[in-house]
Amino acid sequence: MRTTAVGFYPKIPNRPRPARLRQAIARRDRGEINADELARIEDEVTIEVIAEQVEAGLDLITDGQIRWDDDQTYIAQRLDGFEITGLIRYFDTNTYYRQPNVTGPVRWTQPILVRDYQFAAGQSAKPVKALITGPYTLAALATDSHYGDRRRLVLDLAEVLHQEAKALAAAGAPIIQVNEPAILRHKEDAALLQEAITKMLDGIGAETALYTWFGDADGILPQLLELPVDVIGLDFVWGPANWGALKGTPFTKRLGFGIIDARNTKMESVEEIAERIREVSELVPPDRLDVNPSCGLEYLPREVAVEKLKRMVEGVRRAEAVSV
Amino acid sequence: MTGLLTTAVGSLPKPDYLTKARNAFASGRIDGDELDKLTRQATAECIRMQEDVGLDILVHGEMERGDMVAYFAELLTESIAIGGLVRSYGNRYYHKPIITGELHWQGSMTVEMWRYAQSLTGKPVKGMLTGPYTMVEWSFDEHYPSRQGAVLDMARVIRREVEELVKAGAKYVQIDEPAIHTRPEEDFDLALEAMQRVVKGIDCEFHTHICYGEVELIYPDMLRLPVKQIHLAFKNTNFEYLKLLEKHPFDGTKDLGVGVADVHSHLVEPLEEVKDGIQRTLALMPPERLWVLPDCGLKTRTWDEAVAKLRVMVEATREVKRELEIE
Repeated sequence: MRTTAVGFYPKIPNRPRPARLRQAIARRDRGEINADELARIEDEVTIEVIAEQVEAGLDLITDGQIRWDDDQTYIAQRLDGFEITGLIRYFDTNTYYRQPNVTGPVRWTQPILVRDYQFAAGQSAKPVKALITGPYTLAALATDSHYGDRRRLVLDLAEVLHQEAKALAAAGAPIIQVNEPAILRHKEDAALLQEAITKMLDGIGAETALYTWFGDADGILPQLLELPVDVIGLDFVWGPANWGALKGTPFTKRLGFGIIDARNTKMESVEEIAERIREVSELVPPDRLDVNPSCGLEYLPREVAVEKLKRMVEGVRRAEAVSV
Repeated sequence: MTGLLTTAVGSLPKPDYLTKARNAFASGRIDGDELDKLTRQATAECIRMQEDVGLDILVHGEMERGDMVAYFAELLTESIAIGGLVRSYGNRYYHKPIITGELHWQGSMTVEMWRYAQSLTGKPVKGMLTGPYTMVEWSFDEHYPSRQGAVLDMARVIRREVEELVKAGAKYVQIDEPAIHTRPEEDFDLALEAMQRVVKGIDCEFHTHICYGEVELIYPDMLRLPVKQIHLAFKNTNFEYLKLLEKHPFDGTKDLGVGVADVHSHLVEPLEEVKDGIQRTLALMPPERLWVLPDCGLKTRTWDEAVAKLRVMVEATREVKRELEIE
């Protein structure tokens, strides 16, 4: 069993610890520091959140996406063919992102995530997963003023993201996680997802994962299991129907088992967590389990997120101890 | 013929002296009495400004509130704790409340400031509350096994507050539900039931304000809300909502509040643009059922921007009324 995070680590701690990143961005906005100085703070905060994940006991970490405002704009604004427009709610959360709009053919011009990956890998005692928003979700959460055809846009984005995935693999990323939460809201597009992910990950020499959250894959799980990825991540907290889906389908890949509620402060007990792991172990062998929170951790205050990770790791240890 | 009444949505910008006083209070440098004195001073300025601008129905300006959920959450001390910071977008963070016990009303939360504001003016002042669905949706919940339980208990709390406001003499109460379109398929009926429980049988004119989200997903369902006026942020989407009204006419018994001023822009809308927005809406709504407002609370603007936006709104409304010979 491997413990990991899904992404987005809370960017600032609470008092009495200083909110350095928040202050630095405010100072940059007021013109008191420049972009390089802000980038240095972002690096320092990245080191800090890597250390917290390692200390919590995760086997596989992320860089916390400290530099990202959200899953959409960090990628879209670095590609040709997008403009960034007004604020809109991210799924059913109280978190908002600036919606990208497609204004021309989408094109990859240079690596977007490689430097971030290399920096994180150089700072971490544990392997670092590279995270990348998938072509389907990138298209579904944007407006389109150019293509007028969802399929063409998604497949063009798949080609663009193929370049990025190739660059990440060449930089040594051991695992590339593709985030596709939007497919759960548009299950009728599972075939398009298959086509796009196949195109994006064709010939990538790294372990690959496809993660979903905020819903269940009931009805499309067999199709997800045909995707050319090694891990499928499912949210069992906000998508309890994933239990039924899992029972109805022989699970042939690694499972990203999202079982800690990353959207509510209520603490799961270690025993509760261990029990759920025992339950899922009857459907997927433990050596094919990645245990992680239900989604990125930024919906929680920092201190709550850390405590939840620690309990998750302890829950895994307890479950393993019993099963040995 | 009457109609085209003007009002504000809720919050007004806090003057600098009040922002400083609130910080000083938070760090213990001034006491509650001192803060209260300045809060009342700022409230009086809000009332005078709105009278001067010429609004028909006034708001008290929410000088005592930091944000529309946290203000109530901080007063419900026996069932809600104030949690750590969570990011809402960009570099914006808020203290997200945590429901930790059974929700119940502990004492009036808004009556004193409403009564004070109303004592300063002969024009009606609206009572201002946050709706039960939004209160719960924008909090963590460590107590209730289901959202339904929390929302319906919160409805009891808000209803009791409405009763207190009406007892004190409020003729208009606005209950804001900006989160109502978060999960339209799953939760709209719950939000609707909660609103019914808040207002049922109470003799008062109810308004609700809904903003920034996929309004099209709950239209025309939103017309089932048991309120007299529904206010929407038209300007934010450049009056795209008119298409919704074209497709499905607005309820024949309800009033529509049309937002004509963008609260996220420093630019004051040109008079002609505001008039045009009102006139286009009048093509679909009779004037006696149309109210004119800014898109949302004005607290994010400077005082001068807020006043200028309200002035142009009132002026544009007057010109349209003159042209249509509305009293």
